[in-house]
Amino acid sequence: MLVPDALRVIDFGSASALRSQTLWHALAYGVSHGSPPTLAFVRPAEPYVCIGYHRRLEEVDLEGCRARGLPVYRRMVGGGPVYLDDRQLFFQIVVPVEDVPLRRDAALRHLLSPAVEAFRSVGVDARLDERLEIVLGDAKICGHGAGQVEQAVVVVGNLIERFDHAEAVDVLAMPDGAARGELLRLMRRYVAATPADSEAFKAAMTREYARALGLSPVVAELTGYERRRVDALDRRFRSEAWLRGHARPEPAAREVKVRAGVWVFAAEHEGARVAAGVVDGRIERAFLSDADLNGAKADLETALAGTTLAEARETLAGFGPPGERLAAAVAKADGRAHE
Amino acid sequence: MSETGTNPTVEVGGYTLAIDRAYDPDTHLWVQLLDGGRARIGMDPLGVETSGTLAQLAFEPDGTTLRRGEPFGSLEAAKFVGPLVSPLSGVIAGHNDAALADPGLVERDPLGAGWLVELEPSDTEAELGLLVGDEDEIVRRFEARLAEYRVQGVLAE
Repeated sequence: MLVPDALRVIDFGSASALRSQTLWHALAYGVSHGSPPTLAFVRPAEPYVCIGYHRRLEEVDLEGCRARGLPVYRRMVGGGPVYLDDRQLFFQIVVPVEDVPLRRDAALRHLLSPAVEAFRSVGVDARLDERLEIVLGDAKICGHGAGQVEQAVVVVGNLIERFDHAEAVDVLAMPDGAARGELLRLMRRYVAATPADSEAFKAAMTREYARALGLSPVVAELTGYERRRVDALDRRFRSEAWLRGHARPEPAAREVKVRAGVWVFAAEHEGARVAAGVVDGRIERAFLSDADLNGAKADLETALAGTTLAEARETLAGFGPPGERLAAAVAKADGRAHE
Repeated sequence: MSETGTNPTVEVGGYTLAIDRAYDPDTHLWVQLLDGGRARIGMDPLGVETSGTLAQLAFEPDGTTLRRGEPFGSLEAAKFVGPLVSPLSGVIAGHNDAALADPGLVERDPLGAGWLVELEPSDTEAELGLLVGDEDEIVRRFEARLAEYRVQGVLAE
């Protein structure tokens, strides 16, 4: 029997790709059914790809993943498809929904701030920026996602000891090499590893979450109910139907978020193609193709650097029919949710 | 009271509410009975505000039978996935493809074009009584919730 006001702490150690997901999902069901708030850690024993609850499976290069022996699983929390391996230590904080602020941004700030303090405790000068990313300078150092599972809220994140940017890009389905190259460039620029001591990090996380939540840390294990949920979740997460997810309309443009405020899009209109990297609302680099662009390609690509998407459309629209087609392609990019 | 389009509305604390429907103050969803008996469900402006920028929506398939309190779908904002909890029992009879393709529509027009799903309700009379449908009561409950949220810091002053 755990003491009242306990923060249950469970270190799952190294777990299979599947179990590195289903173990902590079971905790969410457990907390929803009366288990105390829980902080957990897990390290995947092998690399795999994990896609967020709402995302289209077509965002993942399934063929490529299969060829490389990478399993793909769908999680119940948000965010896009990501590459995970044994150089990433994952943490999960699970609390009853009534203990979480109503506003999503406030809830995330509440449940990510102790992690920031833990990073700082192990010598990483991290901060939670205004877009709710844990950053070092302007690079994201922790990939997080959150969700409500029944009556529990879970926030997951990671300590990235080493990050294979090329692999993280390769597992994604991208329409062309220009978009893929731009994504890799921005990912190298805006996603960074912070190779801190993982045992010290776990100790700091335990201390900081206990302090922030006003709870006493107690090392514990899964309950019987949670073990049964793990088995059920194993079956669910292996099923084709779960992996496929909800039917979703195909978006007008392919968009990939690198970190909040940094994203890449690729779009096509009547044979004209645009790929671009966008940072803080402005195109950093653009790549254009249209059969009738002739010699204007390089000048136009240069002209688009530093423009907003609206300005880019105006600029392109002045370049006759190919420019109009390219402007229409740019208009398909949204980016609203990436800022 | 004012009127926007065909929907009579009322302003409460800077938020526009349509008064031709009932509200669930706990889930921030509204229910509008349509001709033929279907019930259309959408988010109220406070639900939109507390969610933040909506990135994704998903709905359970048409034909799904729901009890009041069960999720008819989910939404995602700031990489945070949460359930959309049905204020009525019934069968999902349709969903808003436009909102699915562009969740921003829910933010821009939560009471109109940004509706979410339609149900064939199974217990309309009893369950509508659990919602807030009288204009004065809508205003009173919404004002109270606004005041509560402002004290809690959920909303800006």
